[in-house]
Amino acid sequence: MIRAVALGLLLSSSCSWATEPAQVDYMLNCQGCHLPDGSGFPARQVPDLRNRMGSFLSVPGGREYLVQVPGTAQTALPDSDLARLLNWMLGSFSAAQIPADFQPYTAAEVGTLRQYPLANPSVIQAHLLEQIVQREQQQHSGAFADE
Amino acid sequence: MENNWLDQVTEKLTRQTARSTSRRGFLGGLGTLLIGAGAFTLLPVYRNSAFASTGIAEEGNPNSCDYWRHCAIDGFLCGCCGGTASSCPPGTVKSDITWIGTCRNPTDGKDYVISYNDCCGKSNCGRCICQRDQGDTPIYRPQSSNDLNWCTGSQANVPYHCSLSVVIGVKER
Repeated sequence: MIRAVALGLLLSSSCSWATEPAQVDYMLNCQGCHLPDGSGFPARQVPDLRNRMGSFLSVPGGREYLVQVPGTAQTALPDSDLARLLNWMLGSFSAAQIPADFQPYTAAEVGTLRQYPLANPSVIQAHLLEQIVQREQQQHSGAFADE
Repeated sequence: MENNWLDQVTEKLTRQTARSTSRRGFLGGLGTLLIGAGAFTLLPVYRNSAFASTGIAEEGNPNSCDYWRHCAIDGFLCGCCGGTASSCPPGTVKSDITWIGTCRNPTDGKDYVISYNDCCGKSNCGRCICQRDQGDTPIYRPQSSNDLNWCTGSQANVPYHCSLSVVIGVKER
């Protein structure tokens, strides 16, 4: 038994392996700035995606913003790959913040949204973040009221 | 004769041990353990930049500009500057913010994802300049432009010393 496992390990280690396609897309299109773990470089205006990206889905306009923000909309990826990439990023960096009723992005939705670029993304981002913080504060106070 | 119980117990235990074990069995177990330990470290786990030195079948000299991993580089090769193709020379820090592309390894025909991190904090190395630019985009597509000084995105800021070519993934065909 142990020998069979050891043999299996030996064989599997020599087999070829590949990085997950969505992760390759992340590496080639996002990771240069957002870094392997999504932590970014907030001091140089590269936002930290961790435990934050999913919160955008809970406020009005947030779901659209994640597609329309220039880094996403202008990426040289076809719509289907871009949808897969966004879903992968949400699950990898911010799974705990994804709302329970979240429907994964589809190629059609992403394709439509990215045709309408944001004129002033940083203003919209600030507005959305404000709403997210408000929402979190309400939830906290609600939780205390229940106790 | 009434005091030989210790002898009897010892004999019984010794015979029992001899029946249920063997020297060959021990050697077999030890061999499995040694091979298993060796194989376990070869498992395909993502090990960040440490991966660069393991497991890829390849040919070529990392300090030569025609080395396959440098297919899109634009700068001085860190291997000629006191570092290696995947680690910065002493006295410099790696820019985390970087640009990333793919290169085909001619030995196994696969496309590898390569991170071209700059090493920053000292002035130009000046040795082994290499400009190959495969997949390089104009500066208005900054995500994949190698004309940028990526050291502006490092903790050490602007001074550029040399460039790395670190393997960070394999693309599926």
